[in-house]
Amino acid sequence: MTAVIERVARSRLARRAAMLAFPAAVLLLVGAALSPGGATHRSSGHAGVLTLASRAVAPNPLGVRVSKVYGSSIPASVYGTQIADLEDQGVNTRGEMVSDLSPLPARAFVKPVASYKVYAERWTTVAQRDANRLAQALARGSRTGAQSAWRATWSAYLHLGAVYGLFGTLNEAIDGVPGGLPRGSGDPRFTGLHRIEMGLWTGARARSLEPFAVRLTRDLAHLRRVLPSVQISPLEYATRAHEILEDAQRDLLSGVSVPWSGEGVLGTAAGLAATQEVFHTLEPLLQGRDNTEAVVRSELLLLSAAIERIRRDHRGWPTLAQLTMRERELIDGTLAGALGALELLPGTLETEAPSPIPKLPGRAAAGTP
Amino acid sequence: MTALDRRQFMKRSMAVVGAGGVGALAGALGEAELRSGASAAGPEDPSQAALQAELLRRVPFDGPHQAGVLSRPQAQATFVALDSIAPNRQLLAETLQTLSARARGLTQGEAVGAQELDDPPPDSGILGPLDMPDGLTVTIALGASLFDDRYGLGTRRPARLQPMPNFPNDELDPQRTHGDVLLQVCAEHRDTVVHTVRELMRTVAGRLTPRWSIDGFQSARRGPSASSNPRNLFAFRDGTANPDTGDARLMNSLIWVQRGPGEPAWTAGGTYQVVRTIRMHVEFWDRVGMFEQQNMIGRDRVTGAPLGGADEFEDPRYELDPKGKRIPLNAHIRLANPRTPPTADQRIVRRGYNYDRGMDPAGDLDQGLVFVAFNQDVKRQFATIQQRLAEEPMVDYISPVGGGYFFAPPGSRGPADWVGSRLFA
Repeated sequence: MTAVIERVARSRLARRAAMLAFPAAVLLLVGAALSPGGATHRSSGHAGVLTLASRAVAPNPLGVRVSKVYGSSIPASVYGTQIADLEDQGVNTRGEMVSDLSPLPARAFVKPVASYKVYAERWTTVAQRDANRLAQALARGSRTGAQSAWRATWSAYLHLGAVYGLFGTLNEAIDGVPGGLPRGSGDPRFTGLHRIEMGLWTGARARSLEPFAVRLTRDLAHLRRVLPSVQISPLEYATRAHEILEDAQRDLLSGVSVPWSGEGVLGTAAGLAATQEVFHTLEPLLQGRDNTEAVVRSELLLLSAAIERIRRDHRGWPTLAQLTMRERELIDGTLAGALGALELLPGTLETEAPSPIPKLPGRAAAGTP
Repeated sequence: MTALDRRQFMKRSMAVVGAGGVGALAGALGEAELRSGASAAGPEDPSQAALQAELLRRVPFDGPHQAGVLSRPQAQATFVALDSIAPNRQLLAETLQTLSARARGLTQGEAVGAQELDDPPPDSGILGPLDMPDGLTVTIALGASLFDDRYGLGTRRPARLQPMPNFPNDELDPQRTHGDVLLQVCAEHRDTVVHTVRELMRTVAGRLTPRWSIDGFQSARRGPSASSNPRNLFAFRDGTANPDTGDARLMNSLIWVQRGPGEPAWTAGGTYQVVRTIRMHVEFWDRVGMFEQQNMIGRDRVTGAPLGGADEFEDPRYELDPKGKRIPLNAHIRLANPRTPPTADQRIVRRGYNYDRGMDPAGDLDQGLVFVAFNQDVKRQFATIQQRLAEEPMVDYISPVGGGYFFAPPGSRGPADWVGSRLFA
């Protein structure tokens, strides 16, 4: 019950913030229109009068009017009121935990998932091309060429984002880290991108790594073949929308997954691109459902601006160690902000209301030890 | 004598005669002496009186088994793994002997001895003139590496002692894993633990050298009842299904190594200690819906009751829920302890601590669990459970980063004995 109440409190807070922002935006628009020089400091003196005068006639500043709530038969004009009643309670009349939104039909995800697959296929092709380049550079014995091709290949693979978790052992072969293997980084099963990374950044002979790159191109070709038939459930898809960047925070910006190259920023940028793609495909479904779409879009923009700025200032992708303290704070902080918004997605996009937990039968009377 | 020689001499002589025998210098105190020394606060202040009672609580150091295994965990802990640099077996044995002597003194309460003014005091003194026991326990355990070829102990290795393997999904950092000796220092107050570790490090300097350490704390016991277990940093109650540690027969079948074939005789009365430093990705966890959190664990987050139940200690009745409609089949509690007759002898005693190491370089909270478990046979018990848990949904939210397998020898038989003596006998 607590969770529902917390989440409700959160979405209500967001809604309240939006309600506060609305008159403020109106005030600014009207203020700008009415003050002859457009100087904002002058309009502020008349704030109270202007607000009162403008409210009744203000046009919708967003220029859009939501009339239908996706997946619900309740008209948008009353949807909020009805849902607010539910949110105030947090539970239904039988005292069970309930969702604050009516569930989406599972078929709503067919189109987003299909369009995401097209995107994923495109990036798999890119990864295949870069992996070939990597194999060639290794065969030539060119370390710098191979490092650059490695970055491109790994980044392309991370652009798949929302589907990588669905390939099981194939993903382990391509992007696995030595962590859970019995013999760690010396384990014969440690073969993919990170095996090549380890060699390239610890002084191994480039040619000695070529077999790993050849295997990588084979694994990517395999991936390209199975991709069209991969099934992604609505829950998995909605969950991945936040888990791609969860992985970035846990494994990439921490440096855990890229101990040798330190390319955590590059990887996070790729994860952001994948997240933006997932979010983009889901936007039609989010219409009118809480304030999730606006909150997520704005936080992703802030993260994306931070990453772009870092890239610009470094004229390329800096390693984690090359980040200044200010940059480190900026990327860590905006990622945390983005994750704080993305966490709303799975709940907003649920396709079934959680069913109540069956009661445990045969319990001794209360108070009996 | 140079300063160094004298310091060494002091330590050695304390070791040889035992802390009690040093007399005027420092010594274990009787109950009355402790009480009279501690009664600075008048009984009119109830909070001071309660604190004094807590500080006076003394856990015996000597006994058939070591302390700090079956008792309810004290509020604060530090785990220190040490590697031996002792040049030979004799010096290693002497160091362990000294370690026990100093640990005994600290756990039983000591007066901080006066010294010649130009000598460094034998006790750092950070607890004042009296080292009050404060429920302190020092549990000494040995790692598999101690039984390599350095000290000729290979033939005496406890039969089930192996280096902790890399389980699937582990991210073990070698600098935070394994070790020749593990010290588990637990007390009710942080300063007591800090003081004890500081004194013990002085005691073993030059012979045992730190490999890794981690500090732990218990969440306050916030009820609702006195038996309600405290929460871990995922907010769920931890330790609920522990076997009854007051049941001596049960402990002999689950925890203590028994005399008999298959184990060297010296290990009887000891136990295998598993330590796993498990980072919890708490930010990620906090972004997961309550429903999913509860389904991953299998318990209600507020009450700690198995899902569908109302009381923390209620039997989850898995036999009535074979399809996992109430408690998912891959829920943590269901995999960890299926409560079936064939898994009954796999049960372990958990005695974990939360840890909080501040923030990591990426600005994330470095928090988690120092998972501690005691069992009679690591393979039959802990490792079997761990294999069942390999694919539980919770693995995404945790990263085991360190720890190790250790063997805690039987207890010291008295002031003249020491933990590990039978290994060298």
